[in-house]
Amino acid sequence: MILRTRGTLAATGLLVATGMLLAGCGSGAASDGSDGYTVYALLPQGNDQPYGTTYLPPMQEAAAKAGIKLTITNSQYDADKQASECEVAVAARPDLIILWPAVADTVRPCLEAAKAADIPVTVTNSDVIPADKSLIKAYSGPDTYGQGAASAEIMCELADGKPTGILMVNGLTGNTTAINRRQGFLDTIQKNCPNVTVLAEQPGNWNKDTSQTVTSEMLTSVGAAKVQGIYAADDTMVAGAIDALKAQGIDPKPLLITSIGNTKLGNPLIKSGELDGTIFQSSSWDGQNAVVVAEKVLKGESVDENLFMPSVKVTAANADSPEVAPEW
Amino acid sequence: MNSTPTLSLGPATTDRSARLRAALARRTEWRGLALLAVVVVATLSFEPLVFTAYPVTLGRVALIGLVALGLTAVILMGELDLSVASTLAVAGVVMASIPNVALGIVVALCAGLLIGLVNAFFVVKVGINSFIATLGMLFVLRGLAFVLSGEKPVRMADIEAGIAFGAPIIGPITPRVLIFVLVFIGLQIFVTKVRAGREFYAVGGNRQAARDAGIPVSRRLVTGFMLSGFVAALAGVINTMERTAADPTAGSTVLLASIAAAIIGGVALTGGRGSIVGTLVGALSLGIIEVGLTLSGVQVDVQQIFIGGVLLLAVITDPASFRAVVGNARSFLSGRRGETPA
Repeated sequence: MILRTRGTLAATGLLVATGMLLAGCGSGAASDGSDGYTVYALLPQGNDQPYGTTYLPPMQEAAAKAGIKLTITNSQYDADKQASECEVAVAARPDLIILWPAVADTVRPCLEAAKAADIPVTVTNSDVIPADKSLIKAYSGPDTYGQGAASAEIMCELADGKPTGILMVNGLTGNTTAINRRQGFLDTIQKNCPNVTVLAEQPGNWNKDTSQTVTSEMLTSVGAAKVQGIYAADDTMVAGAIDALKAQGIDPKPLLITSIGNTKLGNPLIKSGELDGTIFQSSSWDGQNAVVVAEKVLKGESVDENLFMPSVKVTAANADSPEVAPEW
Repeated sequence: MNSTPTLSLGPATTDRSARLRAALARRTEWRGLALLAVVVVATLSFEPLVFTAYPVTLGRVALIGLVALGLTAVILMGELDLSVASTLAVAGVVMASIPNVALGIVVALCAGLLIGLVNAFFVVKVGINSFIATLGMLFVLRGLAFVLSGEKPVRMADIEAGIAFGAPIIGPITPRVLIFVLVFIGLQIFVTKVRAGREFYAVGGNRQAARDAGIPVSRRLVTGFMLSGFVAALAGVINTMERTAADPTAGSTVLLASIAAAIIGGVALTGGRGSIVGTLVGALSLGIIEVGLTLSGVQVDVQQIFIGGVLLLAVITDPASFRAVVGNARSFLSGRRGETPA
C-alpha cells in the first residue's frame, strides 16, 4: 500500500511537472511580438518536405523584417486538419491569414469563415479554384500555365522549325497544376512551333516509376524511331522518362527533352546533357513573396490578383549559375 | 458511469477509504483525468482563448475523438482496426459521388458497416491477426478511395448543403460536435448497460474463459468491427459535408491520433481494460493540447514531441507499469546503497 501511495505521489509529481513545462513553453511562445501584425500561415507542409524546408526560412525572415508575428501550422496535407486549423486561426482573430490549400476543393468553408470574421486571406503556392477567387485578396506562387508555356518555348527553340514528334508525360489527372502546365505547353507549341507534334500523352502522376512505365509503353506503341523528343511536367517524371529511354537502349542526349522544376534531381540531368531544358521553381521565392503580398494587403496597398513567380528557363548555358541553384 | 465492468476483483474489505481506493483503482480513467486536469490548468494559464473559443476546441476534439470512440470498441476486445482512416476516406468519396445528399449518407454508412464486416470476416473466420488483416484493408481501401474518386477530390453536388452543415445549430455547437456527443452517449450505454457490450470486456480479458462462459465471441467481434467501421464512415461523412468535397487522401493523421486518444484515456491495447469515457478524456486532452499549442504558435514538430511525451506519460503512469518502474528503481537504489562502504 505504501508503494502504491508513493507511486501515486510520483505520478502526480510527473503530471504537475509536465503541466509546468507546458505552461512555461506556451507562455514563452505567446509573449513575443505584441506589436505589429499577427498573421496565421496555414500550410500543408513544413520541415517534413524538401520544398517546405527551403520555403519556410525566407518566409520567416520576411515576416521578421516586416514586423509580422507569424504563426505557422502544418496540416500534413490532411484537409480536415487544415480546416480545423483554419477554425483555430479565425478564432484567434489575426490581422490576416495566409493559406496554402492542402486540397483546393475543400477550402471554401474556411474562406467563408474568414470572410465572416472580416479577416483577409491571401493564398500562396497553390491557387484556389476559380469559383473561390472572389473570397481571397491575392495569390502568389508559381504560374503553372506560364511554366508549361516556358518549357514549350525551349522545345520550340530546340526543334528549330524541323518536324519533331514528341511524347508528353503529364501530372496527376485532375490536378490543377497538371491541367495548367499541359495547357500552357500545348497552347504554346501550337502558336510558336506547329512543327512539333504530340505523338502520345499519358499521366505520370508526378511519380518517377509511373513515368518510366508510361514512357516505355508510349515508345512501344508509337514506335521509338518516330520519337524525337519528350516533355514531362516535372523533373521527377522526366528522370523516369530518361530511364525508360535508356532501358530501351536509346541514348537520351540527341533527343529534345524538357520539363519543369530545376530541382536537385533535374539540375544534374541538365548538366549531364540528358535533359535539355527545365523551368526553375524557386521555393524561397515562394515563401518570401507569400509574406510580401500579405504585408501589402495589411498596409492597404493595392495588390494584383496574381503575383507569379518568374518562370526562369534553365539550360546547359546557365545551369551552373548561382541564380538558378536548385533549392529542393 | 461508475459501473464499468472489469475482470479484476476488488479486495474484500469493509474499510470505507480502502473500498473507495479499490473502486478508484478499478477505474482506468484516473490517469487520463489527472492528465486532463493538468492540461486544462496549464492551458488556462497560457492560452485561455482555447476555452473562450470553446466551439473551435470542441470541433477539434470531435475531429480526433469520433473515430477513436468506434476504435475503442475494437480495442476493448484486444483487437485493432488500422483501416479506420481509409474507411473514412472511402465513405467520404462514396458519399460525395452520389448527387442526392441523403442517399449518399445512407450508402456511405452502409459501406462502413460492410467494411467492418469484411474486417471481422478475416479476423473471425479466416483467423488472421487483426493487426495484419486491417493493415491489408488499410491499403485496399486507400487504393479504392483513389480509384473511386479518379484520383482527385470529389466535390459535393450540393455545396450549399455542406456549408449549411458546418454552421452552428444549438448555440455555437456544430452538428459535428453534437453527433460526437450522441455517439459517445450511445457507445457508453452500449458497453456499460447492454449485455452484448459488457461482454466486450470478457472477450478482451480472457477469450477462452469468455468462450467457456458461453459468450458468443465471434459475434461480439463482428459487432465490434462493424461499430468501428460505421463510426469511421460517419466521420468521413461529416468531414465531407463540412469540407463540401471528399478527398481520397483524407484522414492521413486520423489513425495515430485515435489510437493515442484511447491510450491516453487508459484503454489497454491488450483488451479487457478501459472505457469509452477514457477515450473521451484522451480526446479532450489531445484536442486541448493541439489547439493550445497551435494558438501559441508552437510548430507542428514541437507539438508532436508534446503529444508523444503525454502519451508516454500516460502509459508509464499506468499502475502496473509504474509499480514495475518504482520497484526496479528501489531495488536498483537499495543495491547501490548496499555497495557503498559503511
